[in-house]
Amino acid sequence: MKTLSIAVAALAVLPAAGAMAGDDCHVPRGAWQPRDAAMQAAAGLGWHVEKIEADDGCWEVKGRDAQGRRIKAKLDPATLQVVKLRHRDGQQVRERDRGNAPTVAPSAPSSNPLFQNGTPPVVRVN
Amino acid sequence: MKSILAALALTSALVAPSLAMARPVTLTTTLNTYGGDGAYLVLYVTDAQGAYAGTLWMAGGKSKYYEHLSDWYRATGGDLAQVDGITGASVGAGRSLKITLDLADALFDAGYTLHVDAAVEDMRDSPNDIAVPLTTAGAGKPAPGRRYVASLRYDM
Repeated sequence: MKTLSIAVAALAVLPAAGAMAGDDCHVPRGAWQPRDAAMQAAAGLGWHVEKIEADDGCWEVKGRDAQGRRIKAKLDPATLQVVKLRHRDGQQVRERDRGNAPTVAPSAPSSNPLFQNGTPPVVRVN
Repeated sequence: MKSILAALALTSALVAPSLAMARPVTLTTTLNTYGGDGAYLVLYVTDAQGAYAGTLWMAGGKSKYYEHLSDWYRATGGDLAQVDGITGASVGAGRSLKITLDLADALFDAGYTLHVDAAVEDMRDSPNDIAVPLTTAGAGKPAPGRRYVASLRYDM
């Protein structure tokens, strides 16, 4: 029974760990600047904010930039620096990854029974 | 007893292809210029009875969005083990995702179907945006999708 409890507890923890792994910002909750500060930072960039919310560990801002283009941006919740900025026409600028954006996704060998020989797929986006 | 038989049938469906020979297959999914963020796409296969057989690729890194790929999510229960090692970035509007992999011969001309579920943030979900039967005769022939997928083709 003890083993079962431990297994169940481990399973309960896994989804939370997975969600953390996908976060764009990694800032302890206590270090977050308040929503108003994030609003001010966005306004300081000349943005018109339509929506601001916490998402993927960041402050996510949706609205328009100074040129009136629709944007979605993520701000580091501690420094309020722009982590990711995307114009809604699909063009994306990722500040942290600028100049380091592979077009081929890395992949590990899979145990999926549909694959043969455990050979990983080769993936390309054109 | 019924559930044991069902489990056996499913296991056979999963294992049988792995016993066969394989061939390199290239799957090309081209998206429409729908004017939104990058699309989450999942490519997966069902057998002749419509039962889920396995996932070939997940384009989109954040599992919290996988529930929007609703047919796949329903078939797998959102099991992340299904996409372990076969996950990449979402695909931008107007772009093509090209995947080359060794696929079991037994999947062709045996009633298996290749599906693509698609989802885009702030836009309508599109489960089963396209489904094509896996046949040797169908190779090289692009098939049109319903919403975000302009076309899907497989070459071998």
